[in-house]
Amino acid sequence: MNKKTILLVEDNPDDEALTLRALKKNNLLNEIVVAHDGAEALDYLFATGPYAGGKTPNGPQIVLLDLKLPKVNGLEVLRRIRADERTRRIPVVILTSSKEEQDLMRSYDLGANSYVRKPVAFEEFTEAVRQVGLYWLLLNEVPPTVSPQQVA
Amino acid sequence: MTEQLEDPRETIRELQRELEETNSGLVALTLELEQRVDERTAELRQAHEELRRTNSELLQLTLELEERVAQRTEEVRRLNEELEARVRQRTAELEAANRELEAFAYSVSHDLRAPLRAIDGFSQAVLEDYAQKLDESGRSYLRRLRGASQRMARLIDDILTLSRVTRRELQRERVNLSTLVWEIAAELQRSEPAREVEFVVAPEAMVEGDRALLRQVLENLLRNAYKFTSKHPRARIEFGVQSENGEKAYFVRDDGAGFNSKYSDKLFGPFQRLHSVQEFEGTGIGLATVQRIIQRHGGRVWAEGAVEQGATFYFSF
Repeated sequence: MNKKTILLVEDNPDDEALTLRALKKNNLLNEIVVAHDGAEALDYLFATGPYAGGKTPNGPQIVLLDLKLPKVNGLEVLRRIRADERTRRIPVVILTSSKEEQDLMRSYDLGANSYVRKPVAFEEFTEAVRQVGLYWLLLNEVPPTVSPQQVA
Repeated sequence: MTEQLEDPRETIRELQRELEETNSGLVALTLELEQRVDERTAELRQAHEELRRTNSELLQLTLELEERVAQRTEEVRRLNEELEARVRQRTAELEAANRELEAFAYSVSHDLRAPLRAIDGFSQAVLEDYAQKLDESGRSYLRRLRGASQRMARLIDDILTLSRVTRRELQRERVNLSTLVWEIAAELQRSEPAREVEFVVAPEAMVEGDRALLRQVLENLLRNAYKFTSKHPRARIEFGVQSENGEKAYFVRDDGAGFNSKYSDKLFGPFQRLHSVQEFEGTGIGLATVQRIIQRHGGRVWAEGAVEQGATFYFSF
């Protein structure tokens, strides 16, 4: 039985800790891989750099993607995910503080599946993560993806 | 001897003498006349000369004046160009300043929220995971931490709204204020369905203005009315129109906690509050935002009230 892997792309260590905690509280802590910037996320997804020849059998079942990232920003990561045959069906949920209309539109233009704003209050944040997690990991169905690691 | 006749030669000589006298007289006269003619001629010539000189001076003056007029015209034209160039520059500077302000506001909202989330989140995390290790005092401190960070988040939102009001361009259209009031009233009712609040709304209050900003005005005023009547078992909130001295004024009236009219001039100042946070929560920016929006529409705001006897907020434009 495939263990569902979550790729969390988040540069802020506090937000990372809080998201992980929220996922754990809702028993959604499957396999979590955290990338701290856009470049690390791409390396993981396409089995390049430090992830070359990796042993993980599956690609992530879902990507939780922040927009403001160092090195390569979130929108660029999204574009690359959708541009590659191997990854383009993976559900991507944008999880960001940005309230900008622009970011919202660009994200959907580039093929994001969902856009969730991080609230300040912790209960709201946990609830948001719970709903996102429950929907995308349990209710939603995704076609099987061919992992770059398997192909590599 | 007889008297001889005058010698005719004597007569002739006399006559000659008279003639010569007359002659020389005439000659003298002629000379005098000629002299006078010469003098007159000289005078005329001089007068002519003077006239000619005056004429040429006048001509010179005219040329100078024309030149000066041309210079002034050129100066005015140049000044005009300079002024227009300066206006263009100022406009560009203002636009740049506006863009900077927008970028700043975005940064404020976005970057300040992240640490707030951490403060709130980890306080809650400690409350949940280490509740047993804490006494009531510790738990209370953490709750205060969370309250403060959430309050700060609301403040940030309100400041951003206020700044957006100033930056945004007014988009004028016909707006039915009554409809907006009913919409907001419905939202308020949904947020606290247990409360008994009666809304009285004057129908068809049509105005010309920016719909989004006017909605903000009504929202702020109605939320205030809703909030400050929350300690009473039953509340009445009225939206109406009145005419005073030919001036049409719209108002939101409530029968709630009211305010001490001694402080009415502080009401609309940003961050000014007449109640403590314990009594009624709030950031003190709502009314400042209302005032700014109404002022941008060319109107004014004012308020009446008394402690525990409700309040009425008026706006006209």
